[in-house]
Amino acid sequence: MFTYLGLKFTFGVIATIGLYTVLWRENKFYRFWEHVFLGLAAGWALVILWTETLRPQWWNKMVGTIAEGGNIAEPGFWAWAIMLPIGFAGYFVFSRKHSWVGRIPIGIIIGLWSGQQFDAWIQRFWPQLNASMVPLIPTDFGLVPYAAPSETVLNATIRQNVYLSQAIGNLIATITLLSVLAYFLFGIELKSKFMQGTTKLGRYLLMVGFGAIFGSTVMMRFTLLIDRMYFIWIEWFQRIVLGG
Amino acid sequence: MGWNLLAQTATEPSFFNGPNGTIWGWIAGTMLVGFAILIGLLYMPAQGRKYVIAGFTFVCGLFYVLLWLVPTPHDRNPDDVPRGKVEEISFWLSDAVNVFGGLSNILVAMLLLLGVFSLARIHIAKIIKQQKDWVFSVCLIGAMVLIIIAGYNKWLTELNMDPAQLEAIGKLEPNAWPFYKKSQDFLFDGLLQNMDAAMFSVIAFYILSAAYRAFRVRSVEATILLATALLVMMSLLGLVTLYWNMGVDLITRGDPASFWNNLKLKEIADFIGSSFRAPGLRAIDFGIGVGALAMALRLWLGLERAGGSN
Amino acid sequence: MAMPETTNKMFGEKLLSIPRWIWFVLVIILATIPQFVSITIPNVPEDSSAALYKELMTLPEGSTVIVQTDWTKSTQGESRGQFDALMRILMRKNIKFAFMSVADPQASEVARNALKELNAERIKDGDREYKRWEDYVSLGYFPGAEGKGKEIGESMLDAFKASKDKDQNNVERSVLESPVMKGIEKVGDLSAFIVVTASKSITIALERLQDKVKMLGLVTGVMGPETVNYYTSNQLKGLSIGLKGVYDMETMMEYGANYPDSSGKNFYNMKKYTDVVPNWPGKKNMDRGTKYYLTLHFTIGLMIIAVIIGNIGVLLTRKKGNE
Repeated sequence: MFTYLGLKFTFGVIATIGLYTVLWRENKFYRFWEHVFLGLAAGWALVILWTETLRPQWWNKMVGTIAEGGNIAEPGFWAWAIMLPIGFAGYFVFSRKHSWVGRIPIGIIIGLWSGQQFDAWIQRFWPQLNASMVPLIPTDFGLVPYAAPSETVLNATIRQNVYLSQAIGNLIATITLLSVLAYFLFGIELKSKFMQGTTKLGRYLLMVGFGAIFGSTVMMRFTLLIDRMYFIWIEWFQRIVLGG
Repeated sequence: MGWNLLAQTATEPSFFNGPNGTIWGWIAGTMLVGFAILIGLLYMPAQGRKYVIAGFTFVCGLFYVLLWLVPTPHDRNPDDVPRGKVEEISFWLSDAVNVFGGLSNILVAMLLLLGVFSLARIHIAKIIKQQKDWVFSVCLIGAMVLIIIAGYNKWLTELNMDPAQLEAIGKLEPNAWPFYKKSQDFLFDGLLQNMDAAMFSVIAFYILSAAYRAFRVRSVEATILLATALLVMMSLLGLVTLYWNMGVDLITRGDPASFWNNLKLKEIADFIGSSFRAPGLRAIDFGIGVGALAMALRLWLGLERAGGSN
Repeated sequence: MAMPETTNKMFGEKLLSIPRWIWFVLVIILATIPQFVSITIPNVPEDSSAALYKELMTLPEGSTVIVQTDWTKSTQGESRGQFDALMRILMRKNIKFAFMSVADPQASEVARNALKELNAERIKDGDREYKRWEDYVSLGYFPGAEGKGKEIGESMLDAFKASKDKDQNNVERSVLESPVMKGIEKVGDLSAFIVVTASKSITIALERLQDKVKMLGLVTGVMGPETVNYYTSNQLKGLSIGLKGVYDMETMMEYGANYPDSSGKNFYNMKKYTDVVPNWPGKKNMDRGTKYYLTLHFTIGLMIIAVIIGNIGVLLTRKKGNE
């Protein structure tokens, strides 16, 4: 229990319980650990941003690196030095008179992001539009026959046909897609009864998607809680305190 | 010599690069010029400011737009030479991707540092002025300083360590680690990571409490949402699926070809997933994507008031 | 008669006034006790998980993949299980990997720590140690995810020429000199680009790389519903979602996919997914997913009960007509 691992796990448990006390009410113990957490997170960001980002991707590119024996491993390139004044410009957000200068680096990042969106949009949505074009007219008006995984010929036949049930499913999917899209895109008041009905249907079908998101979110959040309980009761209490 | 200022290709060490006294002079000079321009910008009249920001935004965005529009060299070999002006431009754009990518990484990193700086500034001011709860600010700054020291100490120690010694330390049990390793591990893995996990897991309690208090079947939309959420949650659980399917097997009498197998939980969940959930979420994603594209165009062209230009 | 109405209303009000702390204590109990019980729950893997498993099992031995690891202990419950399952398969198949992060400064250190534990497990099982520099390298943290994705799509040599890692002599060298990255000039030279994430970083990677390299995803439950669309449109060749995805991977590593055991019986009855993919017999396969899955039943069950109780309470206390 009083080994390094024991102390590490014990403090981890104390910190976890400290943060959980907010469930009772806001208190000084919680605030202490909250502030420690923020400080550690900010401090660690400072370490990583230099060692893994700025040093290899800016500093070494700028000054170059020397290999063993004193030869140049990689030549530096002085033009990267301009990044420091540009990055420093961001700190002018704290100045009341010159805060506009702080928007220069933000403008650069926004420019770099927005320029990429045209290609990114096509890459992201074109295959999805393609996948949404599903067959609505069946080639076989029967139901999908049952085929065991080992029946490769029958499975191949099934894959080549569009059965009635599949066509109905595809039709429902297409109606869902179009009505939800209509609800999303047409924010203006619509006079047509058909469009009003479509957007109303879209709103209902949207709830199915939100229900799925809610269900998955619940799974994830409870898994995080289960993981914390595992840490407290099994990794710490059973293995460290009881020595199991 | 290579005056390819933006498109970096491998260059021979020369007057303008290479880690010798000359490059430090050039670096210092560039920084001085950069800061001089920055100071000059402080005197920019108000009418010109939005054009400066819009100009930076437009030029940076223009690069990626051109990269998208200009034909890209496919299967380019390192020793390929461009034929004609169009290929020259496309080769240059392709070479410059690394520069612009580096630009964004460096700038984002510097602005993340700004966030840390802002946090430290607020709390140090609180300590100096001894405002309410300044003691907690001492804890925050103290924790920040401790992990910075521990993190850099570990990095520097291992950077210059003999490889055999490093390997030997790597094989030790945690209780036998040297102090530099224990201190960083305690602060990062022992405290920071566990608190990070605890913060996120607290949401589970609130979800449960909120579901009990607020999740009501009051309208058609709420009913649909609740029903789908319940179905998704149940379909994720193997035991529920097992017993549900056992119930269906009583109807089908174990016949795998029976129509009533479609009532099995996985079949229902898959049908609702493929016919309702997936296209619905796809439409949401598409709608958001169209909005984001329109916003990107407006930001790039400087038409957005709150974006970067005003 | 007013009496049953009043009784119902009082009962309804009682149902609606269960204090918060009771629910909190209940969820803590139900999230703890089942963890001490060890049973294997029958499972039918999702098609997306089975596709991911098959893609990983058919990666050429000795090839190189990039693993974009964007998770920390905040999502350890799901992401750690996914990462461990992924790493176990890659290491058992002698596949070299280079890992990088774009979403969180803590992610790369968390991945390194997880790899150390997995390596210790390998050594304990009598397998060879996976060596840094020879078998895997760390590419670094890149906060500008969009720009980095574009760089990777354009040229791997340019994208990572500044990235350094320590070789076997503890000397920092360019990762391009390591055996892991040898011969990797374009992103298409990789056998896969795998993203383990709790955020939208998978979408950013997809937008820039999906037409250039095979992409595989392991995401948390929150990202699952929107990411599954990328799987159905074939932008992702395989996808594991949340704790269910972890459990799918672990059970397939234990029993295979449509893979009959010695008596000729399949563990699963996967009707739609027909590929046959073998298991890893005699190895540690069941881990976090298996430990947490049973407990998840109880906690989600409590959630469902809470919703039902709340709604019954409202129903009973609702004023009827012109009372």
